[in-house]
Amino acid sequence: MIDHYDWAGGREAMLRFGPATGPVVVAALPLFEEANRTRAFVVTILRLLAARGIAGALPDLPGQGESLIPTHKTSILKMQDAFGFACDKFDREGRNCYAIGLRSGALLDALALAVGRWHLAPQDGPQLFRELTRIKQVELGGRPLGDSWYFDNALPEEAGDPPVEIAGTPISTDLLTDLQVKTPFDEPGIPRRVVRLDTDPNPADRKVDAAPLWRRAEPGNDPALTALLADDIATWVRTCES
Amino acid sequence: MQPDGSLQVEDTVRGVLRDVLGLSAERVADFRADTPLFGALPELDSLAVAGVLTELEDRLGILIEDDEVDGEMLESFGALTRFAAAKALR
Repeated sequence: MIDHYDWAGGREAMLRFGPATGPVVVAALPLFEEANRTRAFVVTILRLLAARGIAGALPDLPGQGESLIPTHKTSILKMQDAFGFACDKFDREGRNCYAIGLRSGALLDALALAVGRWHLAPQDGPQLFRELTRIKQVELGGRPLGDSWYFDNALPEEAGDPPVEIAGTPISTDLLTDLQVKTPFDEPGIPRRVVRLDTDPNPADRKVDAAPLWRRAEPGNDPALTALLADDIATWVRTCES
Repeated sequence: MQPDGSLQVEDTVRGVLRDVLGLSAERVADFRADTPLFGALPELDSLAVAGVLTELEDRLGILIEDDEVDGEMLESFGALTRFAAAKALR
């Protein structure tokens, strides 16, 4: 079902799945191109969760999906704020929210009233910034760019910094600066479960044998992985609820 | 996971190219040292280059400096494997 939610910056669409009562899993896609690559994958997981009796939602965040806000006008704070409002919609109904975040989507649930957080292959802000820098470096022919490459020093100071285009997406300089200090929400006493691929040496609660779909231009889907992850999330939510 | 031999590094490079470029296992198994990569594989655009290098860093536990990223290291499967092995096995 296509629903919507309101936040301080306007109204955004939100896909909803599963029962109208009980806990809700609210998903955050990664930033930029990886959002396009993982949308079908996440929708499949939410459908499988619905089949397991757990509701799910996938809100478009400002600058993502069908949002009317252009990519260069969004910020991490706006996306976090909007994600928080999407969760509030369920909280007001007395339903527990569980945030799930893929990759850099794990950076977007910091302001949400979530009972717990489940992160798949979480990528922190500095890692993403480094990758964006590398993409731009290759686009420009390979010359190293340095740390503050995204500022146009030829412009007068009062001109404001124009967005930079990376892999076809215009991104604000504020967002790039902000990324460098952002890490996934992880506070003592608040449940957080981290799942990673077994090719990823970073610590995790569970490692799974699968290929990183978010790296592929044409990712397709992975039925075995989506079923395994839906089972993992369902078990985790039920444990948190009990 | 720290591979301890050059064959393992080569396998890791094959695995990364398969996963990032969406190539079949059979196709990457046929890669030889002189198989051309950058400029020859349409899948290897700027996003994919960044993906390949970042996955290599993660899987091999290495750090690739910005000034090491050039066309030469990506010229062929052999060049990329030699670069990765020099980093991982030092």
